[in-house]
Amino acid sequence: MEPVSELKYVKVFQKVTKLMSMALDHQQVMDTIVRELPALLDIDAATIRLLDASTGSFVLGAAHGLSMEYLSRNQIDTDKTMTMIHSGRPVASVNVDQTAQGTDKELVDQEGIKSVLTLPILFQDSVIGILRLLTRRHRLFTPDEISFSMALAEQVGIAIANGRMFTEMENQIDFMQEMQKISSLVNSTLDLNAVLQIIVNRLPRSMGCKACTIRLLRPENNQLELVASSGLSEGYQQRGQVENEHNIAVALTGAPVSIYDVSHDERVSYKEDMEKEGIKSLLAVPIKVKGEVIGIIRVLSATSHCFTSSEINFAATMAEIGGAAIQNARTYQKITLLFNQVEESERFVANILNCIRPQLVVVDRQQHIVLTNRVFIAAMNKEENELLGADYHSLWQENHCARENCPVEQVLQTGMAASYEHQVMKDDGPHWVERTASPMLDERGEVEFVIEVIRDITAKRQLAQEHLERVKLQGVVELAGTVAHEINSPLFAALGTAQLLEEDLDSTELIADVQTIIRNLKAIGALTQKMTSMTGFESRDYVGETKIGELR
Amino acid sequence: MAEILALDDVLDATVLIGKILTKKGHSVHSFTEEDEAIAYARTHKIDLAILDIKLKKMSGVEVLGMLKATTPEMRAIMLTGYPTVETAREAISLGADEYCVKPIDRDELEEKVEKVLKASGKKSSITV
Repeated sequence: MEPVSELKYVKVFQKVTKLMSMALDHQQVMDTIVRELPALLDIDAATIRLLDASTGSFVLGAAHGLSMEYLSRNQIDTDKTMTMIHSGRPVASVNVDQTAQGTDKELVDQEGIKSVLTLPILFQDSVIGILRLLTRRHRLFTPDEISFSMALAEQVGIAIANGRMFTEMENQIDFMQEMQKISSLVNSTLDLNAVLQIIVNRLPRSMGCKACTIRLLRPENNQLELVASSGLSEGYQQRGQVENEHNIAVALTGAPVSIYDVSHDERVSYKEDMEKEGIKSLLAVPIKVKGEVIGIIRVLSATSHCFTSSEINFAATMAEIGGAAIQNARTYQKITLLFNQVEESERFVANILNCIRPQLVVVDRQQHIVLTNRVFIAAMNKEENELLGADYHSLWQENHCARENCPVEQVLQTGMAASYEHQVMKDDGPHWVERTASPMLDERGEVEFVIEVIRDITAKRQLAQEHLERVKLQGVVELAGTVAHEINSPLFAALGTAQLLEEDLDSTELIADVQTIIRNLKAIGALTQKMTSMTGFESRDYVGETKIGELR
Repeated sequence: MAEILALDDVLDATVLIGKILTKKGHSVHSFTEEDEAIAYARTHKIDLAILDIKLKKMSGVEVLGMLKATTPEMRAIMLTGYPTVETAREAISLGADEYCVKPIDRDELEEKVEKVLKASGKKSSITV
């Protein structure tokens, strides 16, 4: 094959420059270069590989004239060649079909590759990729061709860098806008599930990726739990635990992980599942809250994609925004839960207070009502909102209970429990109430609130009165029994003696007198019998369990 | 002609019982102290005991129990100024033949004594 003439170099250079200037992004630049160069340089194939800074390996950017099998081989070139490339120098291999070894040789033979010119793509003295020019016939690359190709590769480097920069800037603007939208969306709700779903739906869309997952660490066992996903099949999601995957482990330490080729990367455990799901590349970023990792977001790409630093930053920032929103939603959940518990407790206490029969009222230091039960509200014949905050003393009329006797007043003055009984007039007449006030002390031991329990003791008082009267009656009856007993014995003696005397007397007049005595004694006897008939009331032992009163 | 023991904490009552029943030909031994009455009954034959229920140290029902323990065939008339169902039931259960309420009429006392002595050997006929 004839070497390329100088004029042709100029034409080729012009065309490449034109192509590069027309290309919109670096991918388009790479695709154009590899497609056009074979014809221009009289070669059979061309590839561009870009340096993946995270792994130090070169990943395929664009290729033309080669099979997928060849492109997918493990090793790009010999170690010697790669070392030269890394040092920024080109390497021309005329007989690769003879120098290649092992499986590489098989692939080289299969592809029919004979000669290869490998050129570093430089940008600002740094290797950013490799341009390889391949022929299926033995070809000697002249120094001029190599020099020209180096210049061309450098142009490609500039074009890629510019394209990357442009794409980066475009991406950054897009990301800024997306970030604003997603941030606004996740902050528009405190529903945790909604927040998670917004992130997994919007993030892959913003990054032009296929799918997204969020895993959060369970606080109770520190295990990751898949809490939201988009773009993935159910079977893939059920593939197994991912905690042990290296990319996850690294992300959990707080560092993002970008994997260009998931099917060959050792940091991925479920390579086959990913391939089956159509996943080529992934980005795992930690979800951080105040510097602490609370979970992982993984963005999965359906095309081989080398995630740029701005994409990684975007994802990391989104993860941080998401983290804050997740934390807010979790805090809101906790607050809601606590609030519900407090409400439940309040309802429970209110039910208890409403179920107790006495009236209950709680008064603060300023003697304003802060709590009442239903019985108190009904007794006051007012609405609850009328009572709450009302002045306590305004509820009582002075003639019911003078302020100095008020137990609430006494508790506030002395800090000790106090009680007072008084009458109140009601529709059905006067009622007796017992008011018992107890202090509720604050941390300093001062009265903070006063709890007053008000009971209607009218029935109790009536009962006590009835009991008193019953005791009095009992005394009277016992006295009657005692009198009867104490009288009956002497009465028996007097009556019997009088009857004997009547028998012994001769004088009619005296007999009449004794009969008068006997008649009156019998009348007394009848009276005592009536008295003894009132039985059932005793005060001291008589016989057996019978008791009578002692007459003094 | 019977041997009658009269026990009452009121001396005049025992004297009266003695006078009424002596006139009827009985031999009456009157006591106001329970101990003396019980001691007498242990050493002498008693056909009938007339016992007040309210005594000084113990009840007439208790005295009845003690007398009946030594002399089961002895008859007994209980006297009380304060009748109760309880004392009546207890006295009967211990073998009392009559339960009379003071002030008892002279004729009534004589009748009750005669009736009880005649029924000697028969079971108590009173009901409460």
